Order: sequence, then structure tokens, then C-alpha cells
Amino acid sequence: MSMESNNKRPSTFLGRMSNDSFISLFMVGVLIVIFALACLIVPNFYKAKNIVNILTNNWYIIILGIGVSFLLITGNFDMSVGGVIALSGVLSVYFVQGVNVSPNELANGLGMPYVVAILLALACATCIGGINAFFIAKLKVPSIIITLGTMMLARGIAQIITRGAQRNTSLPDEFGILGNTFVPGTSVKISVLIMVVLVLLAFAYEKKTVSGRRIYLIGANPEAARLSGVKVGRQLASLFIVSSFLAAVTGVLLASEYIAGLSNRGTGYEFDALVVALLGGVSIAGGFGSVLGMFVGAIILSVVTSAATGLLLSPHWQFILKALVTFLAILAQRYALDRRRR
Amino acid sequence: MSPGSIRGRMGNSETLRAGIKSVYIYVFLFIIVALFSVVKLGQVEFFGRGHFLNPNSVINMLRISVPILTLSGAFTLLMIAGYIDLSVGSAISLSAVIYALSIRSGLGMPLSIALSVFLGMAMGSVNGLLVMKLQITPVIATLVTLNLYKGIALLIVPPGVSAIKSTAQSPMPAWINYYGRKEVLLGLPWSFFVALLLILALVVVQRKTILGKYAAAIGGNRNAAELSGINAVKYVWILYVIVGVFAALAGVARASFMSLGDPLSGDGMEMDCIIAVLLGGTAFSGGEGSVVKTIVGVIIIVCVTTGLMTVIPAYWQVVAKASVLLIAVVLNHLLVRSKSQG
Repeated sequence: MSMESNNKRPSTFLGRMSNDSFISLFMVGVLIVIFALACLIVPNFYKAKNIVNILTNNWYIIILGIGVSFLLITGNFDMSVGGVIALSGVLSVYFVQGVNVSPNELANGLGMPYVVAILLALACATCIGGINAFFIAKLKVPSIIITLGTMMLARGIAQIITRGAQRNTSLPDEFGILGNTFVPGTSVKISVLIMVVLVLLAFAYEKKTVSGRRIYLIGANPEAARLSGVKVGRQLASLFIVSSFLAAVTGVLLASEYIAGLSNRGTGYEFDALVVALLGGVSIAGGFGSVLGMFVGAIILSVVTSAATGLLLSPHWQFILKALVTFLAILAQRYALDRRRR
Repeated sequence: MSPGSIRGRMGNSETLRAGIKSVYIYVFLFIIVALFSVVKLGQVEFFGRGHFLNPNSVINMLRISVPILTLSGAFTLLMIAGYIDLSVGSAISLSAVIYALSIRSGLGMPLSIALSVFLGMAMGSVNGLLVMKLQITPVIATLVTLNLYKGIALLIVPPGVSAIKSTAQSPMPAWINYYGRKEVLLGLPWSFFVALLLILALVVVQRKTILGKYAAAIGGNRNAAELSGINAVKYVWILYVIVGVFAALAGVARASFMSLGDPLSGDGMEMDCIIAVLLGGTAFSGGEGSVVKTIVGVIIIVCVTTGLMTVIPAYWQVVAKASVLLIAVVLNHLLVRSKSQG
């Protein structure tokens, strides 16, 4: 990151670590404090069952957070992920529903075999990422404008397929297996396992591959990255497509979990994914952040929201809590980094 | 910003581009209006008011478009300065709720409007504070305040009801709709003429005042503007406050039109504004743009959405809007030279 601060830093353990890891550690500290506070205030918060819940019930946001974090590190937004979730879920249902089984149009689909339907739904929903990639990497349009538009596009197509409602009938039995199977001997869903694997893969990609390190270079200075031979456009395009693919996977898993394709599934998830990335210290200004930080951020958000639920606050408080927590996190991280650089 | 030599070399294509740029939006509008007028709209009655260009249906469209007409001019100025406010939809919702609440609790109309305007100033100031003073990226800051204002609006509405409306204990006075629905001239309400006045004022502000010139200068190159003595923090902050106030007025118009305070009434307004501004040829990165053309963009959006409503089911609307956005982006890309390309 910054060379001049490298020289001044004391060679203690804390001093030697990178700013990314420092912020991740800082947020772990914040997490512990918030968790301790929640345990004091909220009854039964410390119970093992609740802790498992906190660690696992945000799995879909964490999967989305991977793609959103990488894009945020490069200085781009992906607001289309919520729409892609709805689209892939609805498509996976529509593709497997039987042909002409009922006079109700919403019960009739294309009657494809299960595996083909899932793969095709993933492919179609990932096309949204292709649109993002074309406009942002090729035409150089600001990502926020295009991804807000493709969010509407994806959700709009889902609404057309479901006539603005949902499809949940005439589904084969195997449709619900993927989302409702537990890892043997635990109360952890397969989806959570997928999330953990994806986070580990993303972490390895981010730290150990050339392509992963390029993301930081692009974020720190796109012009310098381009001049030093990084294909910025291609890298951005593949990140947008990966982000949409991850959202599509999430959509298929959620559709399977609820055994229904809902056109308004995933509303607001794009904001949650952005919030967990920001809580985890991912910064839009200058190639900074880490997937592990995002994971910590997701756990913080989970602690805050489940504490609010435990205190029987109205669900509408979630909006305000998320907003306040995000602002505090941004300002606290900036303050911590400023102190450290001095 | 092409130097003279380049302009000389490609003079013809340059003048052609400038020519197309100055008229394309009017051509676009003409095509859409002509299309909807010529095509019989599948013999569907236009709200029971007959033809697309029938005076009644025109008046109806103008009545529907009051909130976005009120807001989009100010939004244009902000985007000319290179900044964005995604929280306008929630600001509309919150001020609509506050207006309905204060009318219901017996405050007079002037006082209620003043209260909402004051709230709008506060919301705009918060956005300005976060973006300009605390230097949080505009997209992130206003996305977070979007959720903040929305959460507050949802919390104000008592649990179990969907909006602030007439109840047995506290009936809503009938004159809540004096501002936004009662016909004063040509079948149009006060709110429409206020919106017209505001647009005229903004056209003057953009073309004749320091604020308009400075907005373009800041959007063109903030560093250069600041070096030549423009206080960018102050002027952009003022623009954020103006957008907040106009959003509040749009919320008042909406609440008065519907005679209730719906905490979700402004959802998606930021997209409508962005589409209108882009259709109007304002550069993505700021620096140039025109309030008048944004208004033409607004008319295009209203024509498309209400025109389509008569031929296809409502759930197609989202896709239609998203398509208009993508078209606007492509046109904008082809015709507007942004700084990076110039």
C-alpha cells in the first residue's frame, strides 16, 4: 500500500502487518465488543444455538459480498445482485415446472430435467453480469448507473415470468433437496458449506494469485495499472460476470430452500452486501479491503440485527441500524488508519 | 475539451455530432408520442379518457408527473456538478409521511408545507455533510441515507397500517388534497404550477447565476475549480440542500395527491431522475447538462410508462424503464463527450 508508512512503522507484530489485515483485526475487535454488549443487554444471546445462528444465517449476503467486495476494491459498485437472485431463482423454477400440467399459467413451465434447468438458469442470470461488463468495461459508463438499471432489468424479467407474483407449484421433489439438506450431524445447511468454500477460494484468489493482486492495483490507480500492462477492462468484465454468477448461485439455492420462485426475492440484498463489505473495511477509494474483512463485517451485521430482533425492536429499525453502523464503521476505520499512518 | 487542431481535423463529424446532440431528445420525444398516438394501443381505452393525445389524458399525465417534474431540475444541477443523490426517493417518502401526519394532527397547510421543506433542508444538509465534509463517496453516503430516511419513514407509520391515513380516532381533513389534486386551472393542481415555477427558477439559476456556472465548473474539473477560488464544498453542499428541499416539495405533492402519507411512495424515484437526466444529455461525470432537456427527458419517461400501461400489464413497466435507461446510456455515450474521452 503505502511505502512511506512502511519505513516508519515499528517492527512489532501489529506494526508489520498490512493495512488490510490491520483493519480486519480492528473489526474483529469491534465485533467482540459489540458481541459482549449484546450478551449483556439481550437475554439468552450467548447461547451456543444463537451463536451458530449468527454465524450461519447470513450465508447469502456473504456469498454476494465476495463479488461485491472485489468490485468495490476496484472502485466499482454492483447493485444488480438482488435482481439477479430473483431472476435465477424464478428461472430455475420456471425451467423445471411441468409442461401443460394445469390450467393455471403460473404452474406451467418448460419441463426440463433438474440439472439442465439449474445450469441454464445460472447461465441466463449470469448474462446480466455480461451486460454490466459490456457497459462498464467497454463503454466506460459509471457502474452505479448501469447496475441499478440491470437490477431493474433482472427483477423486471422475473416479474414478467411470475406475472408479478411467484411460481411454486408442479415442482419435482428433487427441487427442494439442495437448499434444505443439512450437513450430517449438524444444524448447518449445505448452502452454508458452499459459502465457506467460496470464501476460502476467494481468500486464496485474493492473496495468492496474480489476477487477485491486480484487483488492488486497479483500485489503487486504474491509469497506472493500465500503463503497466494490466488489462483493466478484461479484469473488470470478469469480476462483474463472477459477481453475477455468485448471485445466480445464491438465487438458485434460495429458490430451492423455499421451493418457490419469488419475483421480489432478494430485495435490498445489494445494499446488505455493500454494507458488509464496508463494515469489513473494504474501501472504494484506493484498492483496499479483504474478503475475510467482509466476512467479519457480515458477522457484525448479523450480531447487530439479531440483537435488535432479540430486543423486540420493530423490523423497520433494521434500516436505521444498518445505516448508523455503516457510517460509524467508515469513520472509525478512517480514524484508525490515520492514527496508524502517523 | 478538444483542442483546436483536433476540431479542425474532424470538423464535419464534430458539427454533426453537436447538431444531433442538440435535437435528438426532441426527436426521441416526437417519435414516442407519434408512436403511441398512431398505434391504436390495442383498442384499449386510455384510462377511459380516449386517445393518447386527448387533452384529458395529457392533463392526467401531467398530474401524475408532478413529483418528478418538481425534483428532476435540481437533480440535474447536482449531476452537472458531478455528484449524485440516491436518497431522493426516501426523502420524498419521509416528507410525504411528515406532511400527512402534520395535516392530520391539525396543523394548517402553510405550516405543514413549511415543516416538510424544513425537513428537506435537514435531509439535504445531512447528505451534504456526509459527502462534502466527511468525504464519504457520494454513492455510498446517499445509499446509506436512503435506508436511513426510509427506516425513519417506516417507523413513523404505526405498526399494522400501511400509511398515514384517515382513522376513526383521527380523521384526515379533506383539504389535504388542496395542494396536489384540487383543480385550479386547466384541470391542473397548485403543485403543478409550483413545479413549473421551480423549473423556470432552476433554468435561470443554471444559465444566469454563479451557482449554475460553478456547478458546471466543479463538475468539469473540481481541482481546477478549487484552484481558481471556487469553494466547491460550499456550493455542492448548497446543491444537496436544494435537492433535499425539492424532494420534500415533491413528497408534499405526492401525499396531497394521494391524500395519505405512504412510507414507500418515493421508492425508485432516484432511478426516474437518473434516467431523465441521462436522456437529457447530461454527461455522466458532470460538467455539462441542461435543466430544460432533463424536463423533456421526464416527459419521455412519463409518456413511455403511462403509454405502455395501456397496452401491456403493469409488471412489464420495470423492464420498460430499464430499457429506456440502457437506451439513454447508449445515446449519451454516442453523443456526449465525457472528460475522459475528450
